[in-house]
Amino acid sequence: MAKKSSGTNALFYTPYVLWLGLFVIAPLALIVYQSFFDISGHLTLANYQTYFSSGTYILMTVNSVWYAFIITVVTLLISYPAAYVLHYAKHKQLWLLLIILPTWINLLLKAYAFIGIFSQDGGVNTFLGFFGIAPQQFLFTDFSFIFVAAYIEIPFMILPIFNGIEELDESFVNASRDLGATGWQTFTKVILPLTMSGVKAGVQAVFIPSLSLFMLTRLIGGNRVITLGTAIEEHFLVTMNWGMGSTIGVVLIVAMVIIMFLTGERKKRGSLR
Amino acid sequence: MTEPIIELQHVSKRYGDTVVLKDINIELERGKFYTLLGPSGSGKTTILRAIAGFLDVSEGTIMFDGKKINDVPANMRKVNTVFQDYALFPHMNVFDNVAYGLQIQKLKKAEVQTRVEAALKMVRLAGYADREISELSGGQQQRVAIARAIVLEPAVLLLDEPLSALDAKLRKDMQYELRELQERLGITFLFVTHDQEEALALSDEIFVMNDGEVQQSGTPVDIYDEPINHFVADFIGESNIVAGHMLKDFLVEFNGQAFECADAGMRPNEPVEVVLRPEDLDITTIGNGKVSVKVDTQLFRGDYYEIVAYDSAQNEWLIHSTNPAKDGDTVGLTFDAEDIHVMRLNESEEDFDARLESYEDD
Amino acid sequence: MKTRKWGSLYLVLVFIILYVPIIYLIAYSFSAGDTMANFHGFTWRHYADLFADTRMIQIVIDTLLLALLSSLIATMIGTLGALGIHRTSRPVVKNTILSLNNILMVSPDVIIGASFLIFYTALKIPLGFGSVLLSHIAFSIPIVVLMVLPKLQEMRQTMLDAARDLGSSNAQVLSRVIMPFIAPGILSGFFMAFTYSLDDFAVTFFVTGNGFQTLAVEIYARARQGINLEINALSGVMFVFALLLVVGYYFIQQGSARRKASHKAESEAKLNEAAH
Repeated sequence: MAKKSSGTNALFYTPYVLWLGLFVIAPLALIVYQSFFDISGHLTLANYQTYFSSGTYILMTVNSVWYAFIITVVTLLISYPAAYVLHYAKHKQLWLLLIILPTWINLLLKAYAFIGIFSQDGGVNTFLGFFGIAPQQFLFTDFSFIFVAAYIEIPFMILPIFNGIEELDESFVNASRDLGATGWQTFTKVILPLTMSGVKAGVQAVFIPSLSLFMLTRLIGGNRVITLGTAIEEHFLVTMNWGMGSTIGVVLIVAMVIIMFLTGERKKRGSLR
Repeated sequence: MTEPIIELQHVSKRYGDTVVLKDINIELERGKFYTLLGPSGSGKTTILRAIAGFLDVSEGTIMFDGKKINDVPANMRKVNTVFQDYALFPHMNVFDNVAYGLQIQKLKKAEVQTRVEAALKMVRLAGYADREISELSGGQQQRVAIARAIVLEPAVLLLDEPLSALDAKLRKDMQYELRELQERLGITFLFVTHDQEEALALSDEIFVMNDGEVQQSGTPVDIYDEPINHFVADFIGESNIVAGHMLKDFLVEFNGQAFECADAGMRPNEPVEVVLRPEDLDITTIGNGKVSVKVDTQLFRGDYYEIVAYDSAQNEWLIHSTNPAKDGDTVGLTFDAEDIHVMRLNESEEDFDARLESYEDD
Repeated sequence: MKTRKWGSLYLVLVFIILYVPIIYLIAYSFSAGDTMANFHGFTWRHYADLFADTRMIQIVIDTLLLALLSSLIATMIGTLGALGIHRTSRPVVKNTILSLNNILMVSPDVIIGASFLIFYTALKIPLGFGSVLLSHIAFSIPIVVLMVLPKLQEMRQTMLDAARDLGSSNAQVLSRVIMPFIAPGILSGFFMAFTYSLDDFAVTFFVTGNGFQTLAVEIYARARQGINLEINALSGVMFVFALLLVVGYYFIQQGSARRKASHKAESEAKLNEAAH
């Protein structure tokens, strides 16, 4: 039986493997390849030299990682309790759909909404005006960038954590209480460790995109915040220095691999379940 | 005698260095209820899968109706299987599940309809055709699985522990129904189970399996009364097994005394094992008893008391008695000569059968 | 009891934060003014503008067409891929392919966009509808695989054995048992691919030329020029569309769950009756 199916197996695989080769491996290889060329098409290591010797690029990278870190932490702090409460809520399927619903609104529309909300005479300043506070500059600040990014990422953090908590067998919690642990001890010693895989998945889903939210830096950050993503977009679509853009891209890929490694599910443990 | 419908000749199965079946020789006749009985890992399901065509055997021949079918794929074999987890198609309703095999054969709609209805009626599920599988209880799913297999009118129905997922009461009911169904259909059933009671109740013939080998085959009564070795005696029913010596024909020594027995054909003074079933032991006074034991614990089992007692050599004795005993009392045990069953060590099934025949025919 | 109350309050607060911007956006689509400040009284004007804007309507149609086409093709390739992966028995090969599959899932959009741009330029593929379609198919395939694969793994071997036992050939097992069984996975893969395509901005932004726009790219261009309440009107329309889908989905799900539960109870009662 196994022998006969290998023929059909190849048939199944062909379009998929073609895709793997053409749209996964080839583009990745090309971006690495491109990073060794300067703007006039000469093979060179100059891009990497520029990257590592100029303080600007290093600072930008550190900044970008720092911003992504803050966005992730803020999102996590808001999302974990929300997911936890959601788990015990009545009609949780309905609540869940309501969490998912905003993700169906295009990200740019949400960013656009904040241009209105944060503007000089927008919603927030009007609200503050009731308390006699003079209009503040919100748009084009670090705060607005982090706030909007966190806002956009919250559903993507809540969902994996919620799934992690749903998978948790309630009898573990009962057992812990039965053995004399307080609510908080149960949370730190049982619930949190057992839902860690959900947290990791959420961190992965938020941190990596946060490194590359160039449209938000443009629309909300007002070019004050420059992330790795912004720099890549700049090099590819504005200054047309693809080599440098690719070099930053390679840096971003390395950052991504590190994150994946740090938050990766340990395969062995996962398969045991 | 009719030609066997299924015959396994010298069948072996190995995975790498692991041998799961060792030289299996089995013959199944038409219209009988056979059981493969053994603990998990004994190879009974492997035999079933080999007959169904889900795995290739390493050596040996599988014959169906006199023809070798080793290379016939599963979908072309005229045997059907009832799976342990039922393996019903969850995306089809009851009717479509049962009709599946008929539709594969591209039968006319009207014929499919009548045959499915007849099969459902056979398993007492008439009127359930439109139900979804997820709406059925475990027992009902079980019946659908049976209907789906018998609707194809196989010559042999293979049943892979089909009752193991049911609760005790339903299980008993289904045992009656299975036996009745087999008699009505008149086809061969090959039933796999690890439950010895189930095997004894249902079968015309039982194959007791262990470690990839058939230890003993025979009617339930034969296997229960005359187990061939320690494994079979221990696995089928409950038993007291004591080491002893065969003094001569019809006289065996154990526990330091000589007893008359009904076994013969062994070498003088040959070391043997003696089997005494707990229900054959009767409690009496010490003076009347053949063995004196001290009662240790007893459990009330409903229709009898299960008593654990120890003799002076600290051998454990299991007794089934209708009357309770007192913990700590020393009592006597009696039994008849026919209640003693003597087993030789490492006797093959052929030798065993030949020896039994030599003195039982007299 | 008290903590539960605080919990509900917290959840409501999170929901307010999630929905305030969307409501704000939609509310101003009815404002007679021209900015998202100081509500100027109710009007349908911006909706009228939106439906009169043939360029915008063309872009909406293009975006939907692109999403439909790319998700259909991605679903086909992804399903075949999942079947292939499922049949692969060597764990090394399987894990390698799964890792490669996940690269596009976790890659930041700019990396996908930039690397595809280099790729199309190297192959001299003109930028436009074609390149955008190829890109959308490419980044939707892995999600389809990830949606279909669990369904395949859920499928028990005995079910396939049963299908063969009942006389079906390999092709019949595939078409009559495997495909219907994994259909829910294929369907959710398709919907995920569809939303990925609708939602995408960054990749499209990189690989689209001047001739072809999607809704996201158009919104970005307009938003960079400032507030335009026609965009608010568009948000209103899209929100209602999404809401209808969600509510419809919820009630269909609830309805079928309830029907099944009642059916089951009924059949169990019947069985009990029969047993006595």
